[in-house]
Amino acid sequence: MAQFKQWALEYVLSDDDTTQGALAKKAAKEIETSRASSTVVGNWAASVQRWMTAAPGDDDRMDDGDDGSSGDIIARAKALGFLAATLEALDKNTLRSDQVLRLLGFFGAMFSYDHKAGITASAKALRQLCSMKGFKPDMGIKVLEDVCKIKEDFRLQMATTRLELYELFHSLVRDPAVASELKQKHGAACGFAVDLLQLCHSERDPRNLMVWFKTLALLVSDFDPSPEVTEEIFKTFSAYFPISLRSSATPIGITAEDLKEAVRACFSAHQRLAKHAFPFLLQKLDQGDAVSVPVKVDILKTIKACIDKYENPQTSLIPHTNKIWNSLKYEVRNGEVKETIDATLEVLRAIARKYEGPRANLAAFSALQEYIDLVFRDCRDDLANPTYTKQAGLLLMTVVTANIRAYLLYNASFVEAIRENLRQPKSPAHTRDLLLLINSLLKTRMELFRARHEAHPDDEEGLRGEAPEHLQSLFYDVYLAAWAVKAKKELASEDKDILKHVIQGLGILVSQQVLQSDGTPALLCSGAVCSEICFLLGTDIIRPLTLSPREADAANTALEDEAVQSLRTIVSSYRNGYVELARRVKAETTKRGWDSPSEYTLRALRDLLSRFTYIGASQIPSDIAADAPSEVPYSPLQHFVTLTSTLLEMLPLSSRWPDVEGGSANSHLISSLHASVIWFRDACSEKYRNVSLAEHADASANWLQEFASLPEDKPPSMGELLQEDDPETYTFFLKLGLLTLRRLYRQASSTGASWDERSLVQLSQMATLVVSQLGLGLQTSCNLVHEAFNYFHPAGQAPASQALPSLARSLLTLGILQGLRPPALAGLYQPGGQAEQLMCDTSALGTAPTRESDVRAAIGLILANKVPSSSDPAVMQRVFDFWNKWWNDATANASSSTLDPATFSFHNKLGMHVLAGAAYRQDSRVLALLPTIRQAISSGPHPVARAVAASVSLLVRLNDILTRANHAVVKALHRQWVYAHLAKPLLQDAQPTGGSGDTAATARCRAAALSIASHCPFAFYQDDLALLVRLIVLNLSAAGRADSEAAGEEDAWEQALAALGILDSILHHEPDALKGYLREVIRGATGAYQACLLPASSSSAGGLPEGERSWPTRAKCRLYALRVLKVIAERIEDRLLVAYAPPTNRMLAVACGDPTRKVRLEAMAARDRWLKFAD
Amino acid sequence: MEKDLENANPTILSVSELPSRRRKGPDARTGPDAGCDKIVFPRHHWPYGATSSSSDEDEDYAEEPLDEQDIYDLISPISDPEHPHTLGQLSVVRLPDIHITPSPTEVSGPNALVTVRVDLTPTINHCSLATVIGLAVRCRLERTLPPNYRVDVRMKPGSHDQDGQVNKQLGDKERVAAALENDALQAMMNKMLGGCD
Repeated sequence: MAQFKQWALEYVLSDDDTTQGALAKKAAKEIETSRASSTVVGNWAASVQRWMTAAPGDDDRMDDGDDGSSGDIIARAKALGFLAATLEALDKNTLRSDQVLRLLGFFGAMFSYDHKAGITASAKALRQLCSMKGFKPDMGIKVLEDVCKIKEDFRLQMATTRLELYELFHSLVRDPAVASELKQKHGAACGFAVDLLQLCHSERDPRNLMVWFKTLALLVSDFDPSPEVTEEIFKTFSAYFPISLRSSATPIGITAEDLKEAVRACFSAHQRLAKHAFPFLLQKLDQGDAVSVPVKVDILKTIKACIDKYENPQTSLIPHTNKIWNSLKYEVRNGEVKETIDATLEVLRAIARKYEGPRANLAAFSALQEYIDLVFRDCRDDLANPTYTKQAGLLLMTVVTANIRAYLLYNASFVEAIRENLRQPKSPAHTRDLLLLINSLLKTRMELFRARHEAHPDDEEGLRGEAPEHLQSLFYDVYLAAWAVKAKKELASEDKDILKHVIQGLGILVSQQVLQSDGTPALLCSGAVCSEICFLLGTDIIRPLTLSPREADAANTALEDEAVQSLRTIVSSYRNGYVELARRVKAETTKRGWDSPSEYTLRALRDLLSRFTYIGASQIPSDIAADAPSEVPYSPLQHFVTLTSTLLEMLPLSSRWPDVEGGSANSHLISSLHASVIWFRDACSEKYRNVSLAEHADASANWLQEFASLPEDKPPSMGELLQEDDPETYTFFLKLGLLTLRRLYRQASSTGASWDERSLVQLSQMATLVVSQLGLGLQTSCNLVHEAFNYFHPAGQAPASQALPSLARSLLTLGILQGLRPPALAGLYQPGGQAEQLMCDTSALGTAPTRESDVRAAIGLILANKVPSSSDPAVMQRVFDFWNKWWNDATANASSSTLDPATFSFHNKLGMHVLAGAAYRQDSRVLALLPTIRQAISSGPHPVARAVAASVSLLVRLNDILTRANHAVVKALHRQWVYAHLAKPLLQDAQPTGGSGDTAATARCRAAALSIASHCPFAFYQDDLALLVRLIVLNLSAAGRADSEAAGEEDAWEQALAALGILDSILHHEPDALKGYLREVIRGATGAYQACLLPASSSSAGGLPEGERSWPTRAKCRLYALRVLKVIAERIEDRLLVAYAPPTNRMLAVACGDPTRKVRLEAMAARDRWLKFAD
Repeated sequence: MEKDLENANPTILSVSELPSRRRKGPDARTGPDAGCDKIVFPRHHWPYGATSSSSDEDEDYAEEPLDEQDIYDLISPISDPEHPHTLGQLSVVRLPDIHITPSPTEVSGPNALVTVRVDLTPTINHCSLATVIGLAVRCRLERTLPPNYRVDVRMKPGSHDQDGQVNKQLGDKERVAAALENDALQAMMNKMLGGCD
């Protein structure tokens, strides 16, 4: 006893939560140890006796304003808090029922006697007691009775105390056992509920309201209250509607949306609220302009929730349907706000969906009919009024397509109503709106059709019996009639709008399906109609080729694009359509001569082929039955096969392969074949996105051997047994891709002398794409590495080297090598093998830079990167040794007069590419070559050093050739690796104080370091800012001076550009690093701008080819210089810039007249930023 | 209650209808089939080596003298003081009413004196804000054109009841400078020119 008293005293005297918690735990432990013996529990309860005795008097004294007694109230509250905290810490199984009952009585009494001190603790204690094992359901009734005795003083309690009580109510009402006791005792009268409503009627706290609303919803849904009580409950929560939440500085974790949801849950709790809820909500809605959009949306969402949740629509919904419709229709008919319109349509759709169910449910069936009749009656006339056509159509669409039953009942009437109006349209806009409605109806029809398995079985049965005539006749009655607009000479924009919708509609119409009697889908339209539609749309895309440039109207492109989309949709269902289109495209194209086409005709051919490719390859067709037999058996690849064989049959369109800007007729064919592979690969990725396609791209078969046994023009089996959803389609696609590639490679290498550069590049890139998609097994079993040099010719029939230009040869080789996986390249890495030769042999490069040297460099890059792990390490070592020696020799031969700078420069390019390829995979042997490179830059003879310094950035530049998609070995940190081992030492060498003291050497090191840094992200050189900024300042001060020792003029501009680029990056990431150099940087940027601006007289004189060649670089330099000045004004504190403002403003004013537009705009932006210093 | 507008119902052009500079050569294709054009129909077909880089960009850096369209692009985004539209959308500024003398192709050097004359067409002929609009146009051009350009802003003959008076005000340097000292006018200018960046 003494122990408990002591703890209680300590608890009362303490203000520390931790200490109080510890004391409560001690007391709880003590009770648990004694197994809740009556004595111990009694002692524990009596431990607070001393604070309890004067309770009533305290209240009186408090009321009299006697401050001296407030201490007693606080102490009493704390003492009761001790008991509550002990109960909280106590194991829930400890106390017996009689003890729980007694304690409930004790704490319950507080609600009658001690409203000031006792409520907080009692509320807490009651919640604990109600969750104990010894708590019996009948006790809940007493708890509620006791608590309700607090009456008006409830609202005077703190919000947290009230929250405890709300939680208590909610837990009691939610407990099925307590609820059952309450129902038994109070019945439908729900006396306790009435008491609760009176108690809580003025709650305002959001947290409390959330719990209270949940309790109210339970009272309505679970307790079967009498109509009077239901009305009282409804009044209680509806008083809060529409609810909002004042924004508060201290977030409480509840949003206005949470509150709205909670009130909505009350409204939709049970259908017995229907007679109150619907009139109430509609009355709120009908207040017109007084209701704001968010409130309107809240009302509409609440109505929808009620419709969705209320059961037994006969009694809950049908009586209110008329009123709901009459109130809501104007929200759409005259509404302007999208949110409101959408929410209204949701409500109207929800009503129709409520009447779903078995066909045998006649009440629901007739209710649906009555509802849609109602909507039809009101909207039918509006369809004839152009002002309201769209809105009326929207309303009708919403209810007619709400479910399959509604659709089956009313779609014919809806279509008929639109058709009637289309016969006598009031205006082109009216026609357009009506067409839009038909299109939307057809689109939604297909959605319902596809979702038929999820609908009621009766509905699927209904679809099987659907009469399709009214839809089939749409082509002739509606679309073809509207198509007549095309006959006009000049199409107005409204006519184009109509045609756009007609074209879209035709696509949707052909893809419509019906259920046959055996349950399988078939096309709605007959083969003849589908074919006619294909012909109409096909004509649209072929026409530009038949027109002269004068007749062609660029504005029709939008309609042609629509036709392309529609044809794509059509041929995926009506498969014969693509074969027909292919025939027409081929006939139209081949009947023309392509030896000297005009630029316009070539563009038209490009567009036609591109569209033809997209229509056939960008989607996998579906296997849908049609009345006309398919020309070829179904295969997911059938369009792809038709496409590639048509394009291959057309190749070559001309015997001439000219290199023309924009491409020749033949190159367009090659590009289209390339595009077909890209489109179909993407279509497969989309269609089989849940499957790993890589698994279907590997095999151990030798496809090339299979191809050898095929007649030249016949494709292999294209998977006629494949189903639409079979990912094996991808394997067959790759096989066909390889077959096409084989044919093109053979053709190109046999007649390679005539193929133009563009066609060869396209073919090379197509080869990379096809080969890279194949797994290692296939690449190896087909021995593709061999084909990189044999070009798919039969053994011993490879074209002689003199028969094929070396550029064509290299491009074809590059295409395959670029797509191969490293292990598949193993055959090349024999000692002295092809890889070694291609990486080291500079003799074949000749002495002048050519396209071929670019390709050879790319091949070197790939071979140095994709080194198979199984290859002999000595091979690569020899390659590195070769280049090491080559650079060393070049550096050592400082005085050699035999060294031709141009030859050195592009041989050096191959070396740098080989080094870059190895650096991508962080080959440690690269590090051994870096000192040689540094040496070459700093002490090599002038041309050597210049060429090496200018090309060294290749090592860190991102390269499109080496990508992971093409199986290159790309280490994540390879650029940082090169930066750390090459750029950092170069930065040191480039400092004016360091290195050899040779100014030209320092300048070259500076150029190399800046060139590397300019291709790196800021984070790489963040630690070297101090060194770098000094170099940049030096560089800018020398900008434009073609220093014969360091760089040529072009190189000087490139260096200035690199410096300005880095400066821009520093300004964006760490502008403070430039604070100490502002004068130099501003002067440098200004000077660089002025130096880059060649006097107009010199440039226009045409006597300075070097100057003209460097014009874009110099313009870019000027742009960057101005950008730097702009960013300085944005990112540096004003006070530091004021001193530089006058000269900078003058310079920027002049720069606003720069000869290059892009630069001028940048100058204006910079001037605007510096204008603040002008006053 | 809202303030009565002088011309409550002006004709407004949509942004797509405003004169704009078309790129040289054929426009890039935008149809659904153009998705892989960059790969299969690249403008410059050679993707390897140094010659591959930025040929497209180089065209952006060609020499193009400042012309009427440039001037139009500078002043057409100025907001109208009365309506929530730009001067271009309200046709207050029109491309044919911008004159550069000597013509851009004839400018002899970077320091040659060039005069830009802009004729404004108020939406109604008694527009009291015509001077403010003229001031904004003048202000915008003086802040963006190089120092060798002289700006002359006027009301188009016959477009305003008091065009002579308005032109006189806009042509008077001292009055223009004094107007820009006025805080209220300055604030209005800033608001009108706010959308030009």
